[in-house]
Amino acid sequence: MQGRFHDGLSARPSTVEVAWIDDGLRFAAEGGQARFWPQVGLKVVREGDQARLSHPSDPDARLVLTEADWLALGGSAAVAVEKRGRVREFRLVAGLAAAGLSVTAFVFWGVPVFAGPLARATPIQMEKDMGRSFDAQMGAMFRRCEGEAGQGVLDELGTRLSMQSDTPFDVRVRAVQAPFVNAFALPGGSVLVTDDLIREAETPDELAAVVAHEVAHIEKRHVMQAVWRSLGVGLLLDAVVGGGTGAGQQAVLLAGQATDLRYGREAELEADERGQALLTAAGMSSQGMAPFFARMHGEGEDKRLATAAEFVSTHPDSARRAQRARAYEKAGAPALTPSEWAAVRASCGAGSKDAVTRLKDRLRRRGDKTPVDQGDQVRQD
Amino acid sequence: MTDATLDGGPINDGLGPLHGVYPQDSEAGEVLRFQSTLQPKRFLGLSLRNGLLNIVTLTLYRFWGKTEVRRRVWQGVRLNGDAFEYTGRGKELFIGFLLALAALGLPMLLTVFAIQFGGPAMIAVLYPVLYFGLFWLWGFGLFTAFRYMASRTTWRGVRFRLGGSARSYGFRYLGALFLSGLTMGWFWPVAQRGLAEKLWDELRFGDRRIRFRMGRAEKVSVYGWYALGWVGTLVGYLVFVIGMVALFAALGMMDAPEGQAPGLGFTLGIYGMMLVLAPLFLLIWSPFHAAMLRSISAGVTLDGAGFHLDVKAMPLWWLTVSNMAALLLSLGFLTPWVQARTAHFMVSRLTSAGLAHLDLARQAGRGPGSGEGLADAFGFSAI
Repeated sequence: MQGRFHDGLSARPSTVEVAWIDDGLRFAAEGGQARFWPQVGLKVVREGDQARLSHPSDPDARLVLTEADWLALGGSAAVAVEKRGRVREFRLVAGLAAAGLSVTAFVFWGVPVFAGPLARATPIQMEKDMGRSFDAQMGAMFRRCEGEAGQGVLDELGTRLSMQSDTPFDVRVRAVQAPFVNAFALPGGSVLVTDDLIREAETPDELAAVVAHEVAHIEKRHVMQAVWRSLGVGLLLDAVVGGGTGAGQQAVLLAGQATDLRYGREAELEADERGQALLTAAGMSSQGMAPFFARMHGEGEDKRLATAAEFVSTHPDSARRAQRARAYEKAGAPALTPSEWAAVRASCGAGSKDAVTRLKDRLRRRGDKTPVDQGDQVRQD
Repeated sequence: MTDATLDGGPINDGLGPLHGVYPQDSEAGEVLRFQSTLQPKRFLGLSLRNGLLNIVTLTLYRFWGKTEVRRRVWQGVRLNGDAFEYTGRGKELFIGFLLALAALGLPMLLTVFAIQFGGPAMIAVLYPVLYFGLFWLWGFGLFTAFRYMASRTTWRGVRFRLGGSARSYGFRYLGALFLSGLTMGWFWPVAQRGLAEKLWDELRFGDRRIRFRMGRAEKVSVYGWYALGWVGTLVGYLVFVIGMVALFAALGMMDAPEGQAPGLGFTLGIYGMMLVLAPLFLLIWSPFHAAMLRSISAGVTLDGAGFHLDVKAMPLWWLTVSNMAALLLSLGFLTPWVQARTAHFMVSRLTSAGLAHLDLARQAGRGPGSGEGLADAFGFSAI
């Protein structure tokens, strides 16, 4: 039967007479050399009414037959030719799946394990430099509160707590304006406390507990650990998925972030414990931590409360933390005098809301469960 | 058929006369007839398979998946009775990706470190370099991706080949974006044609040169449609802002205390608005996009053959909107199906007039050994 032959040298087709002889295709173009393509290595692509054949002995050449001719000509060999290649495909997928699994394992276990030693091995000066850069970025996002007296008190509180810790960094605490309840430690010793958190804290001890918690993060170099961890996880996963925008690629990157959260929680618990120890060592009461977490947990249940939900998302499981904190808490001197506390409370001014609105907000949130805010009473002293 | 058309020209297809580039070719050429045997529904199984394998392999399968889709799309397109063939391999894309990772990832990493640990001076120096460098690299990546794809496309056993310089294309791309930004977008249609010229004019089928003739491309006017899109976008944007304000007011968010989380209704409202607006924006831009497609295909010529892509605004709009909906609802799983139906849409609207001497094409060299790493890194891939 006849076929159309492309010799792979030019695009001029020639008509050839094709036969299946000795387990292979034999054909010759008019006036041309006879060719033999053995069944081994023969490849076929069927599309529409055509079958296009090729053979590695003649890599650029193609032989085109009608589909019916090919099936008639090749017979059972035609079926065998098409089945090949599936084994190779299976091996490929198995190999790639194994590679994917190894990457997953490394992301979930390897990177977090390496992050600790890597953080401890990071030169102090390097972390300080990095901290300066972070600080500048944060400073651009969250404006420093203007009440310098309160800022001084806050910074002094940080210094007193850091004196009890074993850290080479100068701990510098400052209040900033941000629309959520949170405090965070940056690489190199900076601690930022948001105005909303200062407002949420009902006693100086609660605020001191939060600051002690952040100082503990700095001492344990958790921040640097998190930097290495997210860098490691991010880089590795980015490398695998190629920073692509497909849904599958996004899913992989999201899963990577979940690891970060998991290890973040462990660091939180460690910082709680160490923070309480620092408070005790500094002679302060560590009884402020439990009530603060407990209240955050209670408010977290109310989905309408963005501020509390925000805190819970980065500091999860407040109830459990409150319980633990209560178990380890010790009495001590108040962290701040009433006038110091008042200065801190005043450091961010009225912030985004006036005092009356804030009071209304709180009453609305709590119903009748708790008496009117102590903090505001202290401030009015 | 007249004698004039027999020797490869001139043809007159309403875009003006077109003479053969090879007047010495005495043989009669062929009229080019495109045909699509693609059946998009036959890509549904492949869509599912690729999607599942991507999950199992942490997306590493994507290079092989993409190759398989191309192989099947190419073989579903016929020119004068013979199907195109895609001869690329997944391994080549994978190696290209690894090369791009080394070439792009390492410098990026060093830059990130330099910015984190270095001072503001470092940032001031590195940012502009990085910013412009990335745009240049984007153009460079696009061109090398096309070069790879051309070299892995054969018809009647003969390879296509993209000559030219990826580096100079990168600069041209950078310039096009820069000038478009400077002119608030009004330079873009000119830039787009210019970029198309750079690509198509360097393309060869074997040793046979494909030409891009700007004069022909410019006969299809695009600026009226561009103005429609531009002004429409401006108006649409204003409507969007007013709509948002109305939404805020309706949900009583205007006097909501700061820091309160937006409610579910609000979030749904935003997404709903975007879902309604996206097809509308596509609608006002689709006449321009259709005109640009017609313009560029009118510019492409091979010997005495010119091309006409009969794409109209509404069908193109429907194709785009339904593709987007399919991708959104299937979380990207249906990508192969979307690519197949898009290819079918285009090929079945592509016609040609005049004669081309395909027979005279002789084989081209093998082209680059690995492919598309940079384009892949940027998430660019038309197919």
